[in-house]
Amino acid sequence: MTAELQTPQKYRGLRAESLTGTHALLRALIRLDRLRLPLWVLGIGAMSFYVANAVQAIVSNERELVQMASIFADPVGRLMTGPAFGMDEPTFARFYAAGYVLFIYLLTALMSIFAVVRHTRAEEQAGRAELLRANVLGRHASLTAALLLVMLANLLAAGLVLAGALSGGFPLPGSILVAGSGAAVGFFFAAAAAVASQLTESSRSASALAGGILGTSYLIRMVGDLGGPGGTALSWFSPLGWSQQTAPYVEDRWWPLILPLLFGVVGLVLAFALNNRRDLGAGLLPTRAGSARAPAWLSTALGISAHTLLGMLRGWGAALILSGALFGSYAQTMVETAADLPEQFRRVFTGESVMLGFLAYIGIFLAILVAAAGVSGVRLLRGEELSGRAELMLSAPLSRTRWLSAHVLVLLTGLSLILILLGLATATAAAMVLEEDASARFRDVAVASLHQAPAVLAVLGIVVAAFGWAPRLVGVLGWSLIGYAAFMTNFGRLLELPDILHRFNIFGYLAQFPVEPVEWTPVVLLSGLGVLGIILGLTGWRHRQINRN
Amino acid sequence: MNGMTVQIAGLRKTFGQVQALDGLDLSVAPGEVHGFLGPNGAGKSTALRIILGLLRPDSGTVRVFDADPWRDAVALHRRLAYVPGDVELWPRLTGGEVIDLFLNLRSREAGSSKNRRRDELIDRFELDPRKKTRTYSKGNRQKVALIAALAADVDLLLLDEPTSGLDPLMEVVFQQVIAETTTEGRSVLLSSHILAQVEALSDRISIIRAGRTVASGTLEELRHMTRTTIEVETQRPLTELAQLAGVHGLHLKTSGGSARTVIDVDADHLDEVLLHLAPLGVRSLTAHPPTLEQLLIRYYGDSGTSDAPDEPGDLTLGGTQ
Repeated sequence: MTAELQTPQKYRGLRAESLTGTHALLRALIRLDRLRLPLWVLGIGAMSFYVANAVQAIVSNERELVQMASIFADPVGRLMTGPAFGMDEPTFARFYAAGYVLFIYLLTALMSIFAVVRHTRAEEQAGRAELLRANVLGRHASLTAALLLVMLANLLAAGLVLAGALSGGFPLPGSILVAGSGAAVGFFFAAAAAVASQLTESSRSASALAGGILGTSYLIRMVGDLGGPGGTALSWFSPLGWSQQTAPYVEDRWWPLILPLLFGVVGLVLAFALNNRRDLGAGLLPTRAGSARAPAWLSTALGISAHTLLGMLRGWGAALILSGALFGSYAQTMVETAADLPEQFRRVFTGESVMLGFLAYIGIFLAILVAAAGVSGVRLLRGEELSGRAELMLSAPLSRTRWLSAHVLVLLTGLSLILILLGLATATAAAMVLEEDASARFRDVAVASLHQAPAVLAVLGIVVAAFGWAPRLVGVLGWSLIGYAAFMTNFGRLLELPDILHRFNIFGYLAQFPVEPVEWTPVVLLSGLGVLGIILGLTGWRHRQINRN
Repeated sequence: MNGMTVQIAGLRKTFGQVQALDGLDLSVAPGEVHGFLGPNGAGKSTALRIILGLLRPDSGTVRVFDADPWRDAVALHRRLAYVPGDVELWPRLTGGEVIDLFLNLRSREAGSSKNRRRDELIDRFELDPRKKTRTYSKGNRQKVALIAALAADVDLLLLDEPTSGLDPLMEVVFQQVIAETTTEGRSVLLSSHILAQVEALSDRISIIRAGRTVASGTLEELRHMTRTTIEVETQRPLTELAQLAGVHGLHLKTSGGSARTVIDVDADHLDEVLLHLAPLGVRSLTAHPPTLEQLLIRYYGDSGTSDAPDEPGDLTLGGTQ
């Protein structure tokens, strides 16, 4: 490397001075991220603690463990969670590794991608990198500091994951392997995000590219693991698969981790090489030219609302419809394991037939996520207001009422469509796997999803009302409603909480169709609440000032 | 009322603890370019956003085309167009699409391909309408908003520091286009802290400071009320000059071995000062009218940042202190 110092015009390779300032920058990044990254790290650690201990609280004896294990060993189970090593002789530790560790890996990957993009491409896009680079700071200092920060976070997270696994009384070698595999996933995706940040010009495209690699890894792993217990050759083409192939607590093999480390290093070399070649602020992938004229549909209040909201709706919609199909395909498995489920599980899935209960449960669960899409939609409206785009629109002859009602209309249409399609996807998948009453179940499942529409409408109404009268509260209020509903739906009954706490769960009022028949009173009340909220929101929006901060 | 395009009197607006506007007066006549001049944070943008009906005034009167901008926003917006100082656009739309969007919101004709003015302005401002606005610089985003506003058939343009991101060549194009616009009888309210721009374009100027109007009138009127700077070199020494009424800031400027005396003279004392100078044997003399920088420094610099609550208010200008 020092030999390169003599080439005056062409800078090649990583030179000592290209790292000048890395240390100071790293300290600044730690300070900037003092809240966000620790939350990610704690979240990942908490997940390990929770699962390692909850597994043993829910399943009380060996016999139940064997039955539960069959859910993960089943093809659909492998599709969702991984290769399911050692499920023929399950232990709590193996159960933990087979069923839940994938989510720790996913969170680790997301943490790494977001943090790298946040501190590299996003900084450049915002122009802050330019300000930094104008100081005494080497060419590679930003990238290096971001990567060091992410690896620090990954190591801390791995430490907590290890502690979590050990707190469940799991064997040490396997627990170290689980934690190490997590860090390896984090390293690989940090490197992938570093490359993506060099290639694209905007932080959104960089996140999308790195996120796309993660999504593809997940899909390859799904199909690969579907092939058989322990996965198939295809599983080895997925970075997530590599970490799962370590088979913790079963075979305890270290060598698969060579792959993420090797490819991670290749990625890093590539990222540094690209960083050396390109201009600050520039990307390497060309940005495409668009149309010089707007299509007629875009130039209306509805058109621009659709433009603002469609990306979000498409993303949530695709994910939810796919999840619906996946959950639906679990229906027959539920019928078969119904009799053997442990007591606590049967309490979550109400009703005599576990399968119907399961379908009712996922109807609610997915509807909560549809409502979450509604909340993020209204958050986008707030973003339009704060960025000044709403102000610009309203400086044209467009009334506030039309602006907001166009956005709400697009949101309502989109959410309804998602509910219908996700119901159909779940129902189709369920009808395909079910051996009895397939057509009757198809109708039940499709209706169960649509039956949640009033609750979704109520959440949207409350959030739109907040947008009209107390816009600062939109996010807090919306996400609290969603989080609370998700928590109560999942754990409310398991924890035997007092009745009053159930009252605040908007999703707790509707009858649990198809276990119970549809009740019309809550349907009417919740719909009324939703409509009222939207009207209130429109009134408030007409009377309040447009804010930019 | 009195046929003014914009008429504002005693306008007040507070945000929490901050008094953004504190008795603002402003009037824009039909067909005039009105410069709205003040430093950052003086309340220019707040005033424009009240004129647009985005904010509600706390007290005072605001009439735009003799209507209430808060209540009649939509009807008024058919007759006006706005360019914010800090233009945010939809990152995934192209510049051309955004321009069409705004024109179409006004009328189908404005947004149709028959609108030659749109294409002409795109050419003159050298905007690439096929690029996504995400890739635009601040100046290019501003061009998009400017073109959309200028291509619309409106009676009033509200421009909030519209050229802060434009390069000098585009600034010239902007000035030409605004000059053409006013020959068509439109009014323009041009807020700026870029003095040269206001000087070049405005028929009348209002200077605002800490939320209130401190001066208003044509540039000529404002200049008349202020001091002319004179640089003079004489054969005999200028001993008594400093004692003359209306002479300020006397100092020496040496360049190239010769010393020149520099003074600021109040407009109404110019005559006496020149009579005093003439018998002293003037070798060279240059005089220049006050620039707007000097106007501003007089209104802002002298009393610094501390608010002067006894400020005389609207049209009472000048006066020595």
